Amino acid sequence: MRKKLFITLVFGLMVVPFIMGTATAKTLKIGSMSPLTGPYASDGTDIKNGVLTAIQVFEEAGGIPGYDKIELFPQDTACDPKQAVAAANKLINLEVVGVVGAYCSSSTIPSSETLDEEDIPMLTPASTNEKVTDRGLKYMFRLCGRDDDQAPAAAKFLKDSLNAKTVFIVDDKTTYSQGLADGVSKACKALGIEVVEHDHVNQGDKDFSAVLTKAKHANADIFYMSLQGYSPGALMALQAKRQGLKSQIVSQDAMFQPKFMEVAKEAAEGIYITYGFTDTTTPEYKAFENIYVPKYGSIAAYATYAYDAATVLLKAIKAAGATDPAKIKAEIMKMDFDGVAKRIKFRANGDSGSSYIAFKIENSKFVPYWSPEQGLLK
Amino acid sequence: MEYFIQQLINGITLGGLYALIALGYTMVYGVIQLINFAHGEFFAAGGYVGVILLSFFTGLGYMETHPILCLSAAFVLTMGYCAFLAVGVEKVAYKPLRRQSRLAALLSALGVSIFLSNGLMLTQGVYDKAYPSELFQGGIEFGMVTISYLQMMIVGMTIFLLFGLNILVFKTKIGMAMRATAQDKVMSSLVSISSNRIISLTFAIGAGLAAAAGIMVGLYYGSVRYDMGFLPGIKAFAAAVLGGIGNITGAMLGGLIIGMVEIFGAGYISGQYKDVFAFIILISVLYFKPTGIMGENIDDTRV
Amino acid sequence: MIQEFKKVWKPYTIGLLWLLGLLWPLLGIHPDGTLSFDKTFTVWLYITVGTFICLLLYLMNKSGSLDAVSRPLAGMRETVGQASSKVPNWVWIIILLAVAFSYPFFTGRYAQDVATNVLIYICLGLGLNVVVGLAGMLDLGYIAFYGVGAYTYALLNIHFGMSFWICLPISATLALIAGCIIGYPTLRMRGDYLAIVTLGFGEIVRIILNNWMSLTNGPNGILGVKPPSIYIPSFENGFSLELFYLKKLHYLYYVALVLAIITIIAVRHLNFSRIGRAWESIREDETAAELMGVNTFKLKLLAYAMGALFAGMAGAFFCARMRFVSPESFTFLESAMVLSMVVLGGMGSIPGIILGAAALIVLPEVFREFEAYRMLAFGMAMVVMMLFRPAGLIPAKRMGTRGEEKEG
Repeated sequence: MRKKLFITLVFGLMVVPFIMGTATAKTLKIGSMSPLTGPYASDGTDIKNGVLTAIQVFEEAGGIPGYDKIELFPQDTACDPKQAVAAANKLINLEVVGVVGAYCSSSTIPSSETLDEEDIPMLTPASTNEKVTDRGLKYMFRLCGRDDDQAPAAAKFLKDSLNAKTVFIVDDKTTYSQGLADGVSKACKALGIEVVEHDHVNQGDKDFSAVLTKAKHANADIFYMSLQGYSPGALMALQAKRQGLKSQIVSQDAMFQPKFMEVAKEAAEGIYITYGFTDTTTPEYKAFENIYVPKYGSIAAYATYAYDAATVLLKAIKAAGATDPAKIKAEIMKMDFDGVAKRIKFRANGDSGSSYIAFKIENSKFVPYWSPEQGLLK
Repeated sequence: MEYFIQQLINGITLGGLYALIALGYTMVYGVIQLINFAHGEFFAAGGYVGVILLSFFTGLGYMETHPILCLSAAFVLTMGYCAFLAVGVEKVAYKPLRRQSRLAALLSALGVSIFLSNGLMLTQGVYDKAYPSELFQGGIEFGMVTISYLQMMIVGMTIFLLFGLNILVFKTKIGMAMRATAQDKVMSSLVSISSNRIISLTFAIGAGLAAAAGIMVGLYYGSVRYDMGFLPGIKAFAAAVLGGIGNITGAMLGGLIIGMVEIFGAGYISGQYKDVFAFIILISVLYFKPTGIMGENIDDTRV
Repeated sequence: MIQEFKKVWKPYTIGLLWLLGLLWPLLGIHPDGTLSFDKTFTVWLYITVGTFICLLLYLMNKSGSLDAVSRPLAGMRETVGQASSKVPNWVWIIILLAVAFSYPFFTGRYAQDVATNVLIYICLGLGLNVVVGLAGMLDLGYIAFYGVGAYTYALLNIHFGMSFWICLPISATLALIAGCIIGYPTLRMRGDYLAIVTLGFGEIVRIILNNWMSLTNGPNGILGVKPPSIYIPSFENGFSLELFYLKKLHYLYYVALVLAIITIIAVRHLNFSRIGRAWESIREDETAAELMGVNTFKLKLLAYAMGALFAGMAGAFFCARMRFVSPESFTFLESAMVLSMVVLGGMGSIPGIILGAAALIVLPEVFREFEAYRMLAFGMAMVVMMLFRPAGLIPAKRMGTRGEEKEG
């Protein structure tokens, strides 16, 4: 009796995965991978929404010749390498022509290897770790900047614009945040800024009082916080204010999220962050804003990059007139246009360059403040 | 010295919050020997209902005119809500399993925890929800030491709740019934104590305390998030065991110790290893006293 | 039917009203100071209709209104059951093995990937089963040994270029040693004290993996680990052996399958040996076992070490398969998942755990279609499964009666 139950169930479960994932009709399938559950679900949802917006724009403009519609298969990675690989395999089974994702560098790296075996182009809107494009994968592209570009820009900003002599660095031990913090630490030392201390907190912490007390007593010119996601950043900024931290707070691209100000409120005022320069006055940005904001709410850090990534992919497919990966790649490499987030032109390794500038938070808005080339803006 | 005092204050605040959550664990464990993994989720739900109510009051404009009244109302209503939630969860997911192996209930609790945190995510969204920040702004400064009014409020409220609980458990008839049920369910039902009702009550009180901690965390840290229950839940569980699970005074002490160790570990040694210090303290205490600091000797327990 | 319904309508209605009361504050109170009811009611109505249909089906089945459908089904099951009980056990095993071995030929990548995951978790589940199911010690930090195994292979492969097959026993041994180190101080504790201490150790291992930059490369993880390789004879230019990496998913599936089969056989042998009996006696009553001359300390340590051994093996394979390892894969939630597989499948029962592992890996993948709702559905499924089969899907047969059963 038990044995029978067992055998039926085992067979049943074996059959399930391969019944799933069969689809019909002449649709162009693209995939997205981002954390839709777990601690980074908010950023993951932004990415999904960005891609959906790109598809909507494309379909309204007449779609892609030869296809009735474009369908997105959003996959949850939960920022877990194992789930990311499973998601990649699922997308391969669905025969998608390209993938936008993933968010966490530690998900992007293993899943891109899987996708690369089947020659499926992957465009990451958010993984800034150097290794993403430095492994020589044929079909790996990156829309955002690199950590090793952002760190020197940040250090230069501290030195030139803020006249920093000392800096207290804190990170939360993720591939992204620690990589960036290490980079900033190195770049600061090279520029002659003294790194008073480089401390760490853990992912998921809410209480930063111990490290902030330490920072308060160290009393460095700059308090540099490198955290994964805006959420711990907002908490830290708020607690820093309550603790009476005197140092100037500087942070990085993950904080470029209007929710940051919503949570940190007045504690966010005057904080500087480095982020890829996005011209919010261009017609492209305005058009994106008009579609995105009514449907999904405020525009966050990676929604624009996800939109651009999807646009690049769809444009390339349209121009190639085929779903052959080699042709898509050729078209992607040819690309040179103004996207929503930045001007898009790829280098041989799949990077699209970075243009980090410093923003200052004023009246709950990110105001461009300083750029490495031009110095103070305005 | 100033540095030490500041860290001490930080530690007391954090420890008090852990203690409040740990109490729920310990009380539930005391009566039905269940590690209620969903307890952290009651705490998160408390944080959310608190922010919903407080923003509602702000929207109505009452917050500016009667801040204390609004805050008390939010506390009472949220604690009621979570008590209500916990009793329901107990009836649906734990009661049918009471006669089964304890691991079955443990797994059910884990399922409830996953369900609740994702339920919060779906109804409240994946983004942080900010607490109204007008309350308890500022603080007192002695040189480099800052004590914010919020910290004072939290410590005061924690002490108040702990005293209230102690009186309830040790001085009232209901408390006596609870202690009797915890000792021997069969015997206490013979003297006409309804064990079902006592178990429900225990869940309600534990969840109420967690809800209060939820609001205070929201006020103190400025925002709540759907997954905020998980880590404090584990820490509070550690605190409850450290103090001797099933023992109310032990849970308070355990919470305070875990909070202190974390803060001092991060403040004096290294922030990245602070959880390691907390667990090492826990393990070494249990090594020398396997039933926790205040725990009495249990002879035979098994999974 | 009506009778049955009369019995349940009261708690059912109270339950639904309770749900409404809980939902409304979350959905109906707005920060701008307004209250609304429509959204709450629509959500609630969906849930009500859904649960009502389930309840109706359940009651109909119970009272026999569905006999028209269920009786032929039961009849069929009976005949199949009778036929199958005539077939000896080994035939079933051969059929199952045949299906498992031919699986990659009729499935796609995704199914193979999921199946490989299932096989890894079968190893983990069976290993934990030794600790929890047989020896009765609740271990919440089991995943640490999996991590030790994975990192051992990754480091040996990256730094010394050692092959998977040499590293597999080394990983298993190191995990075993780690098991002894962690097991030793915890053996004095019992029940839930043990649970929290193992949880603590699990977290400590993860935090160390995340922070020991020079050794483990911290959160960045270790990249570029080689997959398992085999030497295949090649006859060009005379006879030579050529190194061939098992990169493709179906090769990895076979490696996992072999590992899982080895684990199953080993655990089965342990289970029915003197040691296994001794473990069971410790689980049932430690004091009595000691009185009967069982060396409880040694045997508990052995249970711990054996459990860790299988986890280390699974970890080495996991790393070889992902070709990447980072501390994110070894969180507490993962330990909880493995424990769930053991409890859900039925503690101490090997087929049960195989089924539990399959269920807990496949379910979230099935729910993948629901995107954000998937973990919600998963949590609910876990509770429902426990409510309906509290002893597990396939409970293990026990020797004699247990204390708890006598108490009632």
